[in-house]
Amino acid sequence: MTAKHLLVGAGLVAAASLRVVAHHSFAAEFDINKPVKLTGSVTKLEWMNPHIWVYLDVKDDQGVPQHWQCEGGAPNTLTRNGWSKDSLRYGDQVTIDGSLAKDGSKTCNIRLAKLPDGRSVFAGSSGGDAPPPTPKR
Amino acid sequence: MRNRFAATLLTALALATAGSRPIAGQDGDYRPPAGPAPRLASGKVDFSGVWQKPYAPDLTKDSKDFKGVAELPFTPWGAAEWKSYDAANGDYTGACLPFGMTRSINTPEPMQIMQSDTYFAFLFEQNSWFTVVPVDGRPHRAGIATWFGDSVGHWEGETLVIDTVNFNGKTRLDTVGHPHSDQLHLVQRFTRPDLGHITHEMIIEDPKAFTRPWKTTRTFTLRPDWEMMEYSCEENNKSLWEGRIKIPKRP
Repeated sequence: MTAKHLLVGAGLVAAASLRVVAHHSFAAEFDINKPVKLTGSVTKLEWMNPHIWVYLDVKDDQGVPQHWQCEGGAPNTLTRNGWSKDSLRYGDQVTIDGSLAKDGSKTCNIRLAKLPDGRSVFAGSSGGDAPPPTPKR
Repeated sequence: MRNRFAATLLTALALATAGSRPIAGQDGDYRPPAGPAPRLASGKVDFSGVWQKPYAPDLTKDSKDFKGVAELPFTPWGAAEWKSYDAANGDYTGACLPFGMTRSINTPEPMQIMQSDTYFAFLFEQNSWFTVVPVDGRPHRAGIATWFGDSVGHWEGETLVIDTVNFNGKTRLDTVGHPHSDQLHLVQRFTRPDLGHITHEMIIEDPKAFTRPWKTTRTFTLRPDWEMMEYSCEENNKSLWEGRIKIPKRP
């Protein structure tokens, strides 16, 4: 194996976008037609089945922190994909692209979470069955 | 020397990109071990192992290692069930109720197979469920209808055929909610062309929901590098506790 091979391999590892899935139907809880983008500070990470949950404070227009909670994939699958409970820590600034919960609460489903340096965390969606953003039928 | 240089470079790159934290693994180019299909002492093909399954949340959509049926042959009853289904009114799996046979096969979580001449055990990581199937030729039992149904197996040459009936009708065929009735009859055909793969065919027959039988085909990949993990669906199912997921109505 050469250095070139290793560099290519490492690049693939760093760029991997891995699908993570939900134990229940995405549509049971979230609305794919209500996308949301949140940037805030991580306050807690729950690393438990059936889904991980990321809690973050997001400042509103007046600078007041709003408490949000966002669902990720199953920790078993995330573990096999190389993530751990230490991949996101208290105080990390994170930007989450996802979908809002149907009930209007400050709850979202994570499609993509990024750190300020551009690295993706828990890459992939927890809603692998999420329909396209159009009426189902 | 060249290898040492390469290793140093890789380490430096990993530290630069990930700091002290782990980075995600790349699974797309995984290759299972090669060789012939193993056999039990009796000569029967042995399907034992931890298997990676393709994720199939919608049986009408093909994906890597999965081939479904684009247009399902619904009866009027089946079409009405599908048209009226809305997961927001209660997906039973959101309440951690048993997925049933087809949705357990569909999940991306692995399953371990343990097998003897008498039994074939599905050990599903999804919610840590299992199903034990007699494969010694005995007939179906006349028990109560269940979530996973009653399975028995027999051999057709090198193919193990698992036949399942007596479903309770409370499950769905897949995550998006394609329906079936309590008349569902599943036939799963397992072949192992080599050490690293299982070819799995599932024939879905349900005269109440479909006008004719239809079939999905998928490939399972051996993962000797994986161990099964506990999966407690109930542990942190806060979506249910906080009311965002509805509890399905009792039929």
